[in-house]
Amino acid sequence: MPGLSAAELSFLEGGIAQDLRNDGRGREDFRSFSIQLDVISQASGSARVRLGATDILASIKAELGSPPAEFPHLGRLELAVEISPTAGPEFEGRGGEELSAELGKALERSFAGGANGTGAAVDLAALSVVEGKTCWVLYADVLVLNADGNILDASAIGIKAALSNTRIPKVEVLAGEGDEEGELELNDDPDECARVSTAAVPLIVTLTKVGRHYIADATGDEEAQMSSALSVAVNEKGQLCGVTKRGSAGIDPSVISDMLSVARRIGKRLLAKVDAEISLAESRLESET
Amino acid sequence: MLQPEGPAPSLDEAAAKLAEAQAILQSSTASLPLVCLGDAIDLGADAEGGVMKGHGTMMAGEAQLQATVCGLVERVNKLVSVRALKGRYTAQVGDVVVGRVTEVAQKRWKMDVNGKQDAALLLASVNLPGGVQRRRTNVDELNMRELYQENDLISAEVQQINQGDGAVALHTRSAKYGKLQGGQLVTVAPYLIKRLKQHFVALAAPLDVGIILGCNGYVWIGSKDLVDAGGRDEDEGMEAAGPSGQVDLQLRERMCRVANAVRALAALGLPVHPPAIVEVCNLSGLLRVEIKDMLGPEFLAQVAYREADRRQAEGDAQPMDH
Repeated sequence: MPGLSAAELSFLEGGIAQDLRNDGRGREDFRSFSIQLDVISQASGSARVRLGATDILASIKAELGSPPAEFPHLGRLELAVEISPTAGPEFEGRGGEELSAELGKALERSFAGGANGTGAAVDLAALSVVEGKTCWVLYADVLVLNADGNILDASAIGIKAALSNTRIPKVEVLAGEGDEEGELELNDDPDECARVSTAAVPLIVTLTKVGRHYIADATGDEEAQMSSALSVAVNEKGQLCGVTKRGSAGIDPSVISDMLSVARRIGKRLLAKVDAEISLAESRLESET
Repeated sequence: MLQPEGPAPSLDEAAAKLAEAQAILQSSTASLPLVCLGDAIDLGADAEGGVMKGHGTMMAGEAQLQATVCGLVERVNKLVSVRALKGRYTAQVGDVVVGRVTEVAQKRWKMDVNGKQDAALLLASVNLPGGVQRRRTNVDELNMRELYQENDLISAEVQQINQGDGAVALHTRSAKYGKLQGGQLVTVAPYLIKRLKQHFVALAAPLDVGIILGCNGYVWIGSKDLVDAGGRDEDEGMEAAGPSGQVDLQLRERMCRVANAVRALAALGLPVHPPAIVEVCNLSGLLRVEIKDMLGPEFLAQVAYREADRRQAEGDAQPMDH
């Protein structure tokens, strides 16, 4: 894929320095985005997020599985990112593997919390069905349909939206006779479902360092120019849930602390915006049915 | 309809408006001979004289044509072809294009012009800086990179198209063509750019910005000097790169506004031409929409709505194309 010319690069950098990027945004502005819920009927919850030209599909699939051996009272949350070859010519074949592994790791760092379930995006204890035997495993999969920068932030928005749309069937545990194990009975009434609380689900704000400045929500062109990036997961209380540094160049520690507070400020605004978009998408979904 | 002082429509209203306007836009194009993949092409009464299958069609039985792409049916006497709406750029001789150098090859630059294959810009068909005569030596072949490097954006004209393999040759034999700097590129679908008398357009004040509408869908938005009648300063030549990142903030604001106007039109699938761009810019000023909000659903709804109004006012449907 051809890159940008030297003249375009200096124009882009000049714009960032003047706080007026090529599409008219300031350094801390996000592109406008839209959310569509319940786009995959087989999934427990799904969402499609379009952030500028970046287009991602997030799905949550709840399956019954076994809890982690050390923490039998918890459920599990598994995160994965896949980059579709249609997202760009550089992702053809196995081209997207490296980036998807990197993004998956960053999502895990922001959403999965500790091994004992503290700090996880969803209440893992609520996913337990039979302690030590059965629990719900939430597979959160992100598919990148089109990449125009900032896939990670869009993925986080997608997962939050998909979780808000997730319905987990109620399970009844029938008592077994004697030594026999109890049987599980799934309630297949769609109205009788448990919802996942998304209050604690963080969003990710990636600040991309271009030249001396850092910008939020970089486009593909801007990302091609980045020296390094800091992805910060921020939750509703304004707490930082995970920090991932990407890109090869180092960042000065004093700049990092600046970036953290800026990311926190942007994250709060973004959370309000995402919540509004999700409720809008929900009302749109209701009016359709 | 438009109330610049009124409260901004909500997202929901805007979405409904957009859908409504889209419906009007679509109904106005219903009379076009649009075909979908696999559709039988309606040849009308004059099919008796026999037809010839052109691009995008195939024979389906006796004297019946089937479309192999989605697009518009075009007829030249007996020849029936379907022009794909969304697809890569098909060059025509004389088109102004904006291209990006992908490779510096033997005596030529390979250029990406959004076509099915890269176009070639021959060293023999460029003007050297200062208008000096080129000496056909090995040395100037070796110095090609000093003229145009990989990834450089260049405005050029289609010189000829090889009848056999469809290879496109470009030339920059005019002062107005050459390397582009001090601005930004916006990429739109090629079918949104119509062939005009002038593809180098200087938008009048207050916009005061120069644009190059490449027929291949690459639109360059830069300073006005680029487009002004005199073209680039010959003495300055193409070497006058300068610190082009340094752009006056007001000029940059105007460029971004124009660029976003182009993006907004493209997002709605509306043709991109100078009057439309100016109208979108004016509308954004009238509604006091900030540049960064010009790609938001509210403003897009307003643009679509206004376009729908305009088309309704025109009475009988004006086809989107032609």
